[in-house]
Amino acid sequence: MSRVSGSTLLFFGLAAVAMTLLILSSAGQLAPAEGLAMRAARPFLLAFNGIGRQMSNVFTTARDLASLRARTQQLQTQVDTLTIENQQLQELQNENARLRELLRFRQLNPTYDFKGGQVIARVLSPGPSNYLSTIAIDLGAEHGIQPGMPVVTEAGLVGRIHKVGPASSTVLLLTDPSSGIQALLRLKRQVGVVMGRAGALPTMDFIPQGEKVSVGDVAITSGLGGAFPKNIVIGQVVEVHQRDYEMFQSATLRPSVNLDRLEFVLVITNFKPMPGQPDDPESVG
Amino acid sequence: MARRAGRPRFPSPATSRERTGVYPALIVLGLTVLIQATLSARLRFFGASPNLLLAIVVSWSMLRGFSQGILWGFIGGLGIDLVSGMPLGASSLALMSVCTLAGLGKSSVFAANVLLPMSIVALATPIHGWIILLTLQIQPALAGPGGVSVNWLDSTARIIAPELALNVLTIALLYPLLRRLSAALNAGRAE
Repeated sequence: MSRVSGSTLLFFGLAAVAMTLLILSSAGQLAPAEGLAMRAARPFLLAFNGIGRQMSNVFTTARDLASLRARTQQLQTQVDTLTIENQQLQELQNENARLRELLRFRQLNPTYDFKGGQVIARVLSPGPSNYLSTIAIDLGAEHGIQPGMPVVTEAGLVGRIHKVGPASSTVLLLTDPSSGIQALLRLKRQVGVVMGRAGALPTMDFIPQGEKVSVGDVAITSGLGGAFPKNIVIGQVVEVHQRDYEMFQSATLRPSVNLDRLEFVLVITNFKPMPGQPDDPESVG
Repeated sequence: MARRAGRPRFPSPATSRERTGVYPALIVLGLTVLIQATLSARLRFFGASPNLLLAIVVSWSMLRGFSQGILWGFIGGLGIDLVSGMPLGASSLALMSVCTLAGLGKSSVFAANVLLPMSIVALATPIHGWIILLTLQIQPALAGPGGVSVNWLDSTARIIAPELALNVLTIALLYPLLRRLSAALNAGRAE
């Protein structure tokens, strides 16, 4: 009982002291004492405040890290998007350059025996078969494509239209064994037939003996036979096979067109091959 | 020699008891005031920061009884008033008042459960806040004519409510620590 009384007395005593302090403090009477106490507490407050600032910095840094991470992800997404856009633009630029080359090829070759438009066709896929060297293009009968039409790029001859669908066609490449192209060596003016070989570079056969064929000479279409217009570059001689006892000599050619990396080709639509040429693989153009 | 033998070689039990109670109180309260004035003021939750001193005084009242609670409340209140610029004695009055509530928890069978101090501090926070608001409202009247207008509803919603949530969390962390300190003091006293 006395303990409760003691506690109560303590409470009321301290409350009275607190009230007195409150009144005096509110009246400004305790300002000197408060100032003195604050001066004593100042170093501790400064020290703790410094710790608080450091901790706050740590938390702020952690928060900044989180926001930076989010920002980095956002920027990374932007970079990815821009990279894709950049690649698309570069692709378009390359495509544009290639198309310009194709157009320039047309303008630079006005002496060809054909007139009218040449169709720029996109290569759809490389040949699906190991046994037939073909490519597909996104032009077909709807675009006026017909079998036998020559297919070229700005670098030279690619082949000829083999099969025609409504909206796509197959191009038989000059490297296919069934392909035969009447050719002419540009320097020595020797004629021959360029034949494809499976898994190897094409050869120019049936070159008459006499004039020596030299490496580096360029083979072009001769226009004989009516399968191709003349003066289209086929390839360059890289090896000569000449034996005195044989009736003809031959040469290995490297096609001027990189047939493995075709993207755009031109189909010469106004060239009419001679009848029977395209449908007969064994025929020689 | 006989006179020397009659002189105590160690402090009397009463002196030891006082020291074991006062020194930790001063250290704990001093640190609490400094931490509250500097560190916890940076922990803002919806505009309020946790009231460490309130949580500690409530906890100590529950652990050590009403008398020690009001002593801690009085000393701690003076300290916090000094560093916070409040009129001296305002926080002491508020803290001592909530000790009445907290002292009741000491005899409860749930005193060992941390949920009880959490509940008591949830009740004590608005009481403490309203006493402070009342003090602020009457302070100019104590000093002279006039008075300031205190928006009780706004202050309750914007300050006391978030502080209540923080204090509940704070006491959940502090109460076990203070219980260990109290047990350590009891052990020291027993020796």
